[in-house]
Amino acid sequence: MEADVQEKLEKILKGELKYTSSNLAFNMLITKQKKMIKADPGSKEACMKELESFLAKYPVVAKVDLANIAML
Amino acid sequence: MLITYEETVKMINEGKVLHIAADDSLLSKLPRGKWIGGTTPYFISEEGGVQTGDRLFVTEIDYASDVRIANYGKYNIFQIVEECYDNGLTLLIMPYGSDTAIRYSKEAPEVEELLMHPVAGWISGFDLEKGGEAKVYDGTTGEAFTNRAVVMYIELPEGKNAAVNMINIFTDNKSDPVIKFHDKELEVRTCKVDGVEMNFQEYIEKNGIDTRMPLVADYNGAYINTSIKGVENGVVSLYAPVFRNIEYRFAVYTDDYVGKFRESIAEAGTRYPVFSCNCILNYLYGELSGKDILPYTGPVTFGEVAYQLLNQTLVYIEILG
Repeated sequence: MEADVQEKLEKILKGELKYTSSNLAFNMLITKQKKMIKADPGSKEACMKELESFLAKYPVVAKVDLANIAML
Repeated sequence: MLITYEETVKMINEGKVLHIAADDSLLSKLPRGKWIGGTTPYFISEEGGVQTGDRLFVTEIDYASDVRIANYGKYNIFQIVEECYDNGLTLLIMPYGSDTAIRYSKEAPEVEELLMHPVAGWISGFDLEKGGEAKVYDGTTGEAFTNRAVVMYIELPEGKNAAVNMINIFTDNKSDPVIKFHDKELEVRTCKVDGVEMNFQEYIEKNGIDTRMPLVADYNGAYINTSIKGVENGVVSLYAPVFRNIEYRFAVYTDDYVGKFRESIAEAGTRYPVFSCNCILNYLYGELSGKDILPYTGPVTFGEVAYQLLNQTLVYIEILG
């Protein structure tokens, strides 16, 4: 994943950038990770890894999200 | 597609992989084969919403590279996360009111890895006027269950991914009060409205809230509904649990249900669903009988699953790539 997209994903998790996907699971995952980070700020890295794994696992579905996040 | 018993038997005997929704009287006499099924007499067909005990809604799974069928109870339902294909789709049917469905509804949002595997499905039901028992069927054995889930694991060819999505006609008004609940409640007595503890029934009555409108929670722009089942004796019962640390509001009122559906379908753009199901409350409150909402055809259900249990929602699956 490109550094720029990774940085933007981190900002999405921190609530600094707003992004709504057309993919339900991705939206649910972002909500879950935001809650986890709020409860335990130390979990940020693990949450980022899970988001990256999700995007890597379903490249066909993730293609649109990665392109949209890059343009934020 | 909504077809006759004879046509369904022919497809089963030809070895086709099928998802079948129908009245129990039809499902119970089908031959064994590669199919799973659930009970409901309500459907959205190509011609519109219809109630029938004479035909079956059959969906052929013709995009799989492999398929496995299994069934699970309350204690092992979440094995679906471990037993699914690495690149696939899990199609799940659970009987309404069963312990398995209740556990799934309460625990699914917290299950590790659940969101990493596409899971969709529905809660089977019965004729609301006649009553009855919700069942699911494992076609490989012909067994019917009232307290277990049936699951079809569908493996997808390389280069294909499943996308589970939904159409929800409801949204919230961010200036409305925020409602928070205790964890995993299906029967609610008290809640916090903008931080103030109160009786939920009193809040609903005092504010003249139309309980045909669900509670909605904003999941990063995707709205998840929880529908009201009843309000009685200081208790508000729900069709799906509410969760701690989630902010809920009542959905913005709509009296043009079908119009809203058409609007939401148009907003979703061109879609090619291989499966869809729609909530019985949408069917009833939206008076969908005789009205089509193409291309979304399928069973009308007592709850929808898109990873977690949803209410008053149309769920659909697409195969992309």
